[in-house]
Amino acid sequence: MTKSAASGRRRAFLTHPVNNQRVRLRSWIDPEKTPTVGRTPDYRFSLANERTFLAWIRTGLALVAGGLGCAQFLPPLPIAYLREIIAVSLLVLGGIVALRAVDHWARTERAMRLGEELPGSKFPAILAVVVALGALLLIVAVLLQSPR
Amino acid sequence: MTEQEWTPDHGASAERTRLAWRRTGLSATVVGLLALRPAFHPDAGAAQWILAALSGLGWTFLIALAYRRARALRRRPPHPGRRAITAYALLVVALAALAGLVVML
Repeated sequence: MTKSAASGRRRAFLTHPVNNQRVRLRSWIDPEKTPTVGRTPDYRFSLANERTFLAWIRTGLALVAGGLGCAQFLPPLPIAYLREIIAVSLLVLGGIVALRAVDHWARTERAMRLGEELPGSKFPAILAVVVALGALLLIVAVLLQSPR
Repeated sequence: MTEQEWTPDHGASAERTRLAWRRTGLSATVVGLLALRPAFHPDAGAAQWILAALSGLGWTFLIALAYRRARALRRRPPHPGRRAITAYALLVVALAALAGLVVML
């Protein structure tokens, strides 16, 4: 890849409306008017997008519930504040999942209105890796504790 | 915006979306109850009570939003969701922040 191609791609990225922060925030509030673009898609597609959003919100709510559950039902752990750190990490992850859910919903809605390709996302993969690493850490913690 | 023609909803997409809102409300209820729980601890103070009240308020808004959206889905054809969706997500973020305070106080 040549240098000019890379800078051209970067410019295209920055000038694309979705990557302008104000347009992006407004697109959360009202995907239809930011700016008034495209045509209203078949309502079934919009509802499918809405259900995907709700599935992600439930994922976020489950992470929040997990964080509260850790704080309330785990016994104090051998490392100081480890329980609270686990709980707060889960809560932060839940908040991020909810924010990303609405952002992805708005971008998908916009893409459908414009007849563009739907936005891809690395987020599910990242979340999967984070959850797997967390599980691995817990397995290690359990194995270290069990002989005593 | 031009009104779309109503195509028969053979895939029951409106009903499935209504049920998805219900399920989400049930998940929110679990979070709401867990956030309320510390207020019933024997040595709960004013901070726990205030946080519990705020969480309860947030939960009420979540349920109200879901109810309104589920009713709006009865329209034929249903409108795509807009502000309700953003408001729901931001309320969940606020609830996560409140839960953080519940954990740390």
